[in-house]
Parts: sequence; structure tokens; C-alpha cells
Amino acid sequence: MLATFLSQIVNGLILGSLIGLIALGYTMVYGIIQLINFAHGEVFMVGAYGGLFMFTYLLPTFIQRQWYLALPLLLVGGAAVSTVVAVLMERFAYRPLRGAPRLAPLITALGVSVALQELVRNFYPGATAALPFPRVFVQGTWEIPVPGGTVPLRWTGLLIIVLSLVLAAVLTAYVNGTRMGRAMRAVSQDSDTARLMGVDTDRVIVLTFALGAALAGVGGIMYGTDLGFVNIDMGFQNGIFAFTAAVLGGIGNLRGAVVGGIVIGLVKALGGQYLPGGTAYDYVWIFVVLIAVLVFRPQGFFGESERVRA
Amino acid sequence: MTTTSPAGAPPAPRPAGPPPGRTARLIAALGPHATVLRGAGGLLTLIGALLPWATFVLNKGPYPDKATLQYFVAPFGVTGFRWQLLLFGIAALVLALAPVPARGRLLRGLAWGIIGIAVVNGLFITVEGGGLGAITVTDGSVACGAVVTLLAGVLVELGARAGGIEPRPVWTWRFGPWVERAVLVVVYVLMLFVVAATLTSGGTGGAANRYSGAVFLSFLAALGGAFAALHASGLMTWVATVAERHRVFSVLVLLAMALALPLTAAGNEYWMTVAANIGVYAATAIGLNIVVGLAGLLDLGYVAFLGIGAFVAANLSGAAAAKFDVHLPFALVMVISAVIAGMFGAVVGSPTLRVRGDYLAIVTLAFGEIFVRTAQNNIFGLTGGSNAIPGIPQVELFGTRFSDRIAVAGIQLPAGVLYYLLIVFLVAIVMLVFSHLKESRLGRAWIAIREDEDAARAMGIRTGPIKIMAFLCGATLAGFAGAFFAHKTGTVSYESFRFTESVTLIAAVILGGMGTVPGAVLGASLLFVLPEKLREFADYRLLLFGLALILIMRFRPQGLVPDRHRRAELARDPADEPPPGGSTAGSRAEVAA
Amino acid sequence: MTRRRTIVTAAILAGALGLTACGTNRQESTSGGAGGASSCDTSKGTLVIGMVAPLSGGLSALGLGMSHSADLAVDQANQKCTVPGYALAFQAEDDQATPQVAGQAATKLASDPNVVGVVGTLNSSTAQTVQPILADRSIVQVSPANTNPTLTLGEQATTAPKRPFPSYFRVATTDLIQGPFGAQYLVQKAGKKNIAVIDDGKTYGAGLADQFAKEAQKLGATVVAREKVGEKDTDFSGVIAKVRPSSPDAVYYGGEYPAAGPLSAQLAGAGLNVPLMGGDGIVDPQFVALGGRAGDLATNVGAPAESLPSAKQFIADYQAANYAEPFGAYGAFSYDATNVIIEALAKAVQGGTWSEDTRKAVVSNVQSTNMQGAGGPVAFDEFGDTTNKVLTVYTVKGDNFAPIEGSTGSFQG
Repeated sequence: MLATFLSQIVNGLILGSLIGLIALGYTMVYGIIQLINFAHGEVFMVGAYGGLFMFTYLLPTFIQRQWYLALPLLLVGGAAVSTVVAVLMERFAYRPLRGAPRLAPLITALGVSVALQELVRNFYPGATAALPFPRVFVQGTWEIPVPGGTVPLRWTGLLIIVLSLVLAAVLTAYVNGTRMGRAMRAVSQDSDTARLMGVDTDRVIVLTFALGAALAGVGGIMYGTDLGFVNIDMGFQNGIFAFTAAVLGGIGNLRGAVVGGIVIGLVKALGGQYLPGGTAYDYVWIFVVLIAVLVFRPQGFFGESERVRA
Repeated sequence: MTTTSPAGAPPAPRPAGPPPGRTARLIAALGPHATVLRGAGGLLTLIGALLPWATFVLNKGPYPDKATLQYFVAPFGVTGFRWQLLLFGIAALVLALAPVPARGRLLRGLAWGIIGIAVVNGLFITVEGGGLGAITVTDGSVACGAVVTLLAGVLVELGARAGGIEPRPVWTWRFGPWVERAVLVVVYVLMLFVVAATLTSGGTGGAANRYSGAVFLSFLAALGGAFAALHASGLMTWVATVAERHRVFSVLVLLAMALALPLTAAGNEYWMTVAANIGVYAATAIGLNIVVGLAGLLDLGYVAFLGIGAFVAANLSGAAAAKFDVHLPFALVMVISAVIAGMFGAVVGSPTLRVRGDYLAIVTLAFGEIFVRTAQNNIFGLTGGSNAIPGIPQVELFGTRFSDRIAVAGIQLPAGVLYYLLIVFLVAIVMLVFSHLKESRLGRAWIAIREDEDAARAMGIRTGPIKIMAFLCGATLAGFAGAFFAHKTGTVSYESFRFTESVTLIAAVILGGMGTVPGAVLGASLLFVLPEKLREFADYRLLLFGLALILIMRFRPQGLVPDRHRRAELARDPADEPPPGGSTAGSRAEVAA
Repeated sequence: MTRRRTIVTAAILAGALGLTACGTNRQESTSGGAGGASSCDTSKGTLVIGMVAPLSGGLSALGLGMSHSADLAVDQANQKCTVPGYALAFQAEDDQATPQVAGQAATKLASDPNVVGVVGTLNSSTAQTVQPILADRSIVQVSPANTNPTLTLGEQATTAPKRPFPSYFRVATTDLIQGPFGAQYLVQKAGKKNIAVIDDGKTYGAGLADQFAKEAQKLGATVVAREKVGEKDTDFSGVIAKVRPSSPDAVYYGGEYPAAGPLSAQLAGAGLNVPLMGGDGIVDPQFVALGGRAGDLATNVGAPAESLPSAKQFIADYQAANYAEPFGAYGAFSYDATNVIIEALAKAVQGGTWSEDTRKAVVSNVQSTNMQGAGGPVAFDEFGDTTNKVLTVYTVKGDNFAPIEGSTGSFQG
């Protein structure tokens, strides 16, 4: 019993920290320009396919065989592809709508999401079906002994937890500690005043998109490495989870996004285990929790605190 | 792009307005030669129409359908887009010489049509023929129809601009009321024929008409050019004012025209089925229009209400897989479906008391996802789960099944025509309900909430119940449509009510124009007719849909039929434009408080 | 800004033009319209074989494979002059995997007097809408993929079977046969007694898993867990952790290979090193590429392909035809379904002329089909189900499935 409970906690943490990593991108963009960037989930997917492309067509065999060479290269490559896509998206889809009523960029985001997904499906070789992803990390499981059994923790899962938390911490430090970070916070609080104070708002916005996308790209690679495959739909479902996480945590709040992600991971894992209906309804519990939180605490977990929006 | 420009800068100059710089200087230099350019363009269009377009017979059969040399045998046998080009060419020549009001503007419309036809057909032959060789030179055969026509279109456009684009003329003719009504009837009959011609252009596709998609697109380009020219003439605006003067009459004639569609060339079983489905989505989109267009509450899970209505109707239909073994009359089932969907609407709407803006959008998305997942899991045995609820009986009236072929006064009507007539009436009723709601006290309250919720509350509007009313009314209309959907489709499966369908509905509302009565119907029609007409490009259906959403938001966010209130808000008048994040930061702060 | 944009646009256009180049795909001596070049007599016109399948969206990989396979069958028939006097054309319509669009597609086909028969659909829910529309016009429908028993046996499939539509046939095996056959093997031959059953909640997977579980319990095994995963789920660790404490000695998965492969890998990853078994939906080399392990099992319809020259021939022909997508899980059956219709048509027309009345003859000819297809012998029972109830158990060896010697048989209930 305890072993099962702890196993589900571990599963929840792995899924949750990945969701949290993606949620950072949602929450930062929302903090800066109040846009629900629906296409962010697809940016995550595109990062994974970018990494797969790099591994399949660009890397020489000797690098492919050594995970400690291939993994960092793929992480950088996936982040780069995601970043390029996100910057193009900002430049050509969202920037022309700056200042338009709120519904317009939201619909555009839905359009970008559909278009990105279909572009990959139509033009990446073999992408109509799931594609195997190279497992560029140590395979295997650490069986942690607990009273009454063992709790399996796969090494790739551990990688996701550690790397996600480290990246989230680095991002928080960057936003709170650097000049550019200060500019970001300034724009999120009042973009007009920030501009009057000499902040180049366009650059800040592009940088925000780029940072969020880079994290999503890293997430995409880790996801592929962990599960051993990628598919077109991975962006949509995880994107919705991540968005929910950002809302749960209090949108615009970096810490909240990570906590929200972990809450979602835990709700899915524990809900599937213990709540009526089992795994068939785990998806439903996530949204029930979301609705409950929004109704009773509309600003999310951390919405009310000092609101250090990205 | 200079980085110093303010975030809320006006968009790039429209192609219509004279952009500064080289192009403007070129246009100015061409000024004296405007008539020559226009005439040459018109003449070249005629030549382009008669030149060969493809260097060889395409692998799937000849395109265009008649070879160039056949004209010498049958000079009046010109068909397809060439025939349309001939008309455009003659019109351009006439306009180049005849002093018609606003002829520069008229010519520009024609030029767009010519360019559109050249691009659509040129590109299609290039892609279908496997390379540029198909529209230039291959193996000694030359075909330059596409290139010449494109050049002709550009010449007409340049000529139009060089001669100056006059303001659109405003006609203030007034005739006796019966003369005006007669004019309206003629216009509406013509509209009916244009709709029927658009639906049937290119044939039904498939093995018999392998190029139906291209023919249809080319027809659309021609239609677009013709409409641009008509609009430029100011006649359409005049007709619109006349229609406004005889509003009730217009509505009645339009209803009659809709009912007369089965008598036209589009009156076959296939289009009746498609039209019935469009009607379902149009009715649902009108319901969504209450929530999004009037009350300004974004709902991303709206199709669930259609689904709830459909599942309720399926369970009360007497189908073998239904949970309850009852068979209620269709009219009663519709009412029950609508009421139950409305109740769910109120439940889904209740978080609006606490949640605002984008948070609300996410709550509705969550409800939509919960609906799909529980329906898939066959909750309480009500939805059939993955097996769906099949075998829902057809609607019957006086022993006639609505799917049957019937004959009225000796005219054989296509199968499914009864469903079509029924849905036309339902959509008409739903439109009537919507327009009454919109003009009512409730509707004005919704609009007030949309514009500024805090101000609305300060004016004494009880925003909470009124927002829930929006969800309730919208969901009721969707449930109403759902009952029809269940019987017409015969199967209700959770697969019909996914997130993509919700996005399509929102796209329909926005494309048509938020908050307007005909908008949602027009949007739904376009979004469901286009994939049907372009079935041969099915691979790219969703890609084009996504790109279309982006482009609409970029170039016409107010939709095709903009709402008067809404127009001010969405046409980006710099005067009342909110600073980015400015107005929203306020509401956010409120949320956090 | 305007000028820079013009330059960028021009550059993109120039690039696009450079890519297309000045070539053409001109083919010599095409007669046009009918597809393949042949010297057959096609003087009486063109008849159409239709298809309703998802050609866009999430299931397009399967749908396109079906469409290409059927197209191949039609092309071959044209080359072999199977139907004297007529050219055959193939017309695939997208159903977007939703019932109402399938209804529109079926209506479109049904209103063409030259449509002989329809191959499809993929999903059972779309079949439910298509069936009555085609049946109304006596157009024969042969599905390569529907597994829901009620489509041929009516709502009381197991107690009081009654055929709802006489023009509907299928070459796919229903859950009622495949699930129990898998159970027999796993319980009786492989000796597994504690089985966890998981499915993906879709018609095929859920139906298969239900029938499997029923039979396994009848044979004395314990179903230690019965779980569902989301159709878009990719991380199954939650389900696996839930199943693990009951220490199953095998896992049965009702679903298709894109989820089954990763599930198998994740089972091993969580220390649950037991074989995974599935139905014909997981028999695909991609299953192994996506993480399927050696020793995983699957039931597949028909005798092993190696013993069927027709299957090898189909695979070779498909590859020679250079279609953009692989034939996928339902390719061979789509090919067979199309050939069933073509043969029935050839018999019905037999030198005469086609009219809409010929459709009834096509339906009765399909009913009496007896041919050797790419997926095994094809014939239909009184409900329109395939009589080819022979199944074979496959196991993963190397990077693909291989048949288990002596496992071919049929389910005797």
C-alpha cells in the first residue's frame, strides 16, 4: 500500500515537474502581454521533433552512441528549434495584434496551434504516426526499498524532476536578479510606463517568448527521452495540463506555475489510483480540481502574494 | 520594423491605400497612361483567356476541360474559368472607355478577380503538373495563358490606380415601396442562384469531376472580383439601405429563398444533408453568439451543450441502445433536450459569479473536456461510451419519414428535403429569438457587461444572474439543435463533440461577426461548406483552417458582418484603443483583490 | 518596413519557385480519367468504388493506408480488365472520424448512380451513420476495420443476433472472436493466471478487452486489474503503478500499437517484466520500434502471412506503387474488401450494362464471395461477418512479430 502510494507520488512528481516546466512559458507570456498562448503546447511538441530531426539526420553515429554527448546537444537543439518557432510566431502572428481586443490574439493562438500541429504532421517524414525517440539517457530503474515493497524511480524520470526544478530556479533568479529581468517585471506591471522609462518593450516581449519556448523545447526532449517516442498530439494534451497548472498556481507567477504543475501531476496519479472511476477518470479530476480552485480562489494559489509576475 | 514604434501602432498600410515610396512614384508616373493601361489589361485578359494554359494534358485528365483549338470549331464553346475571364476582360475594356462613376474602383475589383483566377489556376496547374514546366514551356509546346492573364490583371490594377481610385458613390434613389420590393425580390432571387451555382460549381467532385476543387476555387476568385466591383459601384450599399427600409419583407423573402434552395441545381440529397448539418451548427453558433458576442464571455467548451442535447434526445428516441425505453414525440424531445442543456448551461455559467475573463475561458474548456471524457466512459450508461448510441429512428410526421424522397405537386424533391426545411425553420426561430433577446433589456445588459462589467454593475445591473442567463439561453439553443442533430445523424457519439468542434464554432461566430444575427449563420455556412467543396485537399484541411484563423484575426477581426456596437471596438480606431494590458490589468487587479 | 517586407516575400517566392523548378510530371499515353494506362475496353463508362475513412486529423495515418490499399486494388483491376467494358475509379472521402461528416460523405457517394460499393469505415461510430444511408440505396459496404459486434449482429449480439443491414459486410474479425481466442492462448497455452486488462476506451480497444476479460475469467484466470487509459495518454506510469501491487503475470492491452509499444516499454521500466498481449491492432513493426519487448504477444487474423502468397504479393505490389504512407494496420483488409466488391461487380455485370438495379446483384454476389485475399480466405456468413475466423498468435522476435508455430486456430466457444 505504502509502496503504491509512494510510486504514485513519484509518478505525479515526474509528470508534474514536466508540466510545470511547460507552464512557465504560459505564465511568463501571460504576465507580460496577458495572452493565453495556446500554441505553447505545440512549441513543446515542435522542440521534441526538432531534437528528433537533429538526432536522426545531423548527428554523427559516434555522438549518437554516447548519451552524455547526445543529450546536451539535443537539449540545446530542441530548445533552439522551439525558440525560433516561438519568435517567428510572436513576430508574425501576435505582434501585429498588439493592442487589439483580447479575443483576437486568443483566437490567433488557437489558429497557430492547429497550424503548427498540422505543419509537422504534413511535412515531418513519418509524423502521421508516433515516432520512436532516441533514449539518450541512462535507462533503468532505481528500486527504492520502502516497508512493504519497492518504489520504482526511472533515471529518466529523475532527470526530468531535477532538470525542471533547476531550470525553474535559474529562470526565477534571472527574472529577479538581472537588468533584463527587471525590465520584464516592469513591462508586466505597466508596459506603457516601462516604455516611457526607456524599456524596449518589443525586445522584452520577444525575450519572454524565447525563454518560455526554450524551456518547452528542453521539456520536449526530456519527454521524448523518458517515454521513448513522440507524437503529434503530445503538445495538445500536455499544453492544456500546463495551462491549467499556470492558472492553478496563479497565472503570471513563476513559483505558482511549478507548484501548479506538480499539483496536477499528483492529482492525475493519485486520482487515478484512489478516486472512483480509476484511471478512466483521472483526466476529469484534474479539471474538477481546476474548477474548484478557480471558484473558491479565483486568483490561484499564489495569485494574491506580492505578484512578482515574470 | 523599428523597435521604437509604440506597441499600439496602427497596422501596416492597407494595400488599397497608396503606400509611400517607390510604388507611389511609379503610380504617379503612370497617371497619364491610365486609359491605355486599363484597355491593354482588358485586351490582354481576353487574349489570356483564349491562350493555352497547360503545356500537356494533365495526368488525371484535361484541365482546362477544353483544348484551345476547339474554339475554332465551336467559338461559343468557351467554358469554365476562361468564360469568366472573357466576361472580366470585356467588362474591363468597356470600363476603360465608358465614363462610369467610380470606374477606377470598379476596375480594381475586376483586377482582383482576374489576378485571383490567374493565380488559382496557374498554381493548380503547376502543382498538378509537377512543376513550372506545366504553365510555361515543355517539350516544345508553349502555354502562357496563366502568365499573360496575371500580367493583364496587374496592368488593370495599375491602370485603375494610376487613374485614381474615386470614393465609392452613394446612391440615394427612392422609388415607390412596391418597386423597391420588386427590386429586392430580384436581388434575392439572384443571390439564391449565386449560392446554388457556388455549391454546384465544379460538380460533386470525386471520380467524375477530378478537378472540382480547383474549379470551385477559381469560381470563388471570380465571384470575389465580381462582388468587389459591385460593392465599388455603390449598388450593394444602396440595396442594403433599401432592405433596411423593408426589413420584415426582406426577412420573409430571404426565408422563402432559403426554402426554395431544394428547387435549384443544389437541390440534391447530398447538399440537403450538408445544409442540415450546417443548420445544426448555425443554430449552435447563434447560441454561442449570445455568450461570446453579446455578453463577451469566452466559452471554449461550448459544443458540449450540443452534445448534451443530442444525448438526451438519443436516450428518449426509443433507440435500442438508449438507456430509457421510451419513445417521445420529436417536438417534446426537442423541448426536453433544450431544457436539460439549458440547466447544464446555468451550472457551467455559475462560476462566472466568481471567475472572470481568461479564467472563465479555462473553466469552460475544463467543462468541455470533462464532458467528452465522461461521455466516452459511458457515465451512468447514458452515452453508450465508445459504442455510441446508434440506430436513432428518423423523425416521422403523418407516416412520412423525414429521410424519404417526397414529391410535391408533381415535383420530385430530393431525399432529406424535409430535414432541410425543418432546420431552416429552426434556424429562423433561433435567429428570431436571438434578435429579440439582443434588443431586449436583457440583451442591453449583456452588451453593457461586455463593454465594462464594473460600470454595468455600478449602473445597477445585477451582473451575476444576467451572466448566468447568457449561458442558460445559449445552451438552450444548442440543446435544441442537439435534438435535431441526434435524429438527423442517427448516431450520437462523443467523437462529435471534441475541442476542435468548439474551436470551429468560435471561429464561425468570429468569422461571421460577433453579436450579429446573420453573422453566426454565415460563418457556420462558410466553415462547413468549404471543407465539403475542397474534399480533394482534405490532407490540408486543418492546416488551412489554422492559417485562416490567423489571417482573419490579422486582417478582419470584426468579421464579415460587423456589429454596429462592436465595429467601434474592433476596427481599431486609434482613438478608443486600449493600451496593451492597460484595461485588463485593472480587471486583473480586481480579480486578485 | 513595407519595402523590407516586399523583399522578404519576393525571396520566399523565389525560393519556392526554385524548389518546384521547371519540370513536369507528364506521363505519356494516359487515357485520362481512369487512372492506369491499359488496353482494356472501357467503352461503357466509368464505375466508382468509394471509400469513407478519416483522411485528415489524428487517425489519418490509418485512413490513408486504407485509401492507398484500396486504390491499389482498383488500379490492378483496371490493368487486368476485371470488369469488361468499364473503367473503375476510386473515390476516397474524408469522414474526419466523426459520425456526421461520415454521413455527408456517404450521402455524397450514395447520390452518384455510378457508385458500385463502398469500402469503410474505420471507426464503428462512423459505420453506424453510414450503414443506413448506403443500405437505403442497396449499395454494398465492406468494412476492413469495424470490430463492434452490433454492426452485423444487432443490439442483442450475443443473445439474439439479428442482422440489421443486409448490404453491410466486414472482413475484419469482431471482438467476440478475437478477444476470447487471445484469452484461450494466454490462459491455457501460456499458463498465465493473474492478468491485468487495460484498454484505451475506444470502440476497438474497449470491446476487445471486455471480451478477453470475460473469456479469461471463464477459463479460470483472475483479472487482477481492469483499467482504462486516455486515448491521447503517453505516460502510463500511473496505470502501471496501480497494477503493479497485484503482481500480474501478464498484461492484456485493448488498443493500437502507438500506445501499446510505449506501454510495454514502460511496464518493463517500472520493473513489471511480464509479457504484454494485444489484438491485431498492435501487430506492426512500429510496435517494436516504439518499445515493444521480445516475448510480447498478439493475436492476428488469418494464417501467418508467410504461408499466404497473396499477402506477400500485396506487400510487394504496395511497395512498388510508391504510396506516400505505409499501408498500416488495415491495408491488407482494405485491399481485400475492395477486391471483394470488384469481383462481385464483375460477376454482376458480366458483359451486360450497369444500372442502379445491378447493385442488388452486387450485394448478393458479395454474400457468396469465396476468394483468397491478402489477409486470408474471404467469405461471409449469414450476418455479413467474415467466415475467416482463423487467428494466429504472434510474438515479438527481433524487431518484428513472428507467428508462433502451431498456434493457428479458431475460437470455439
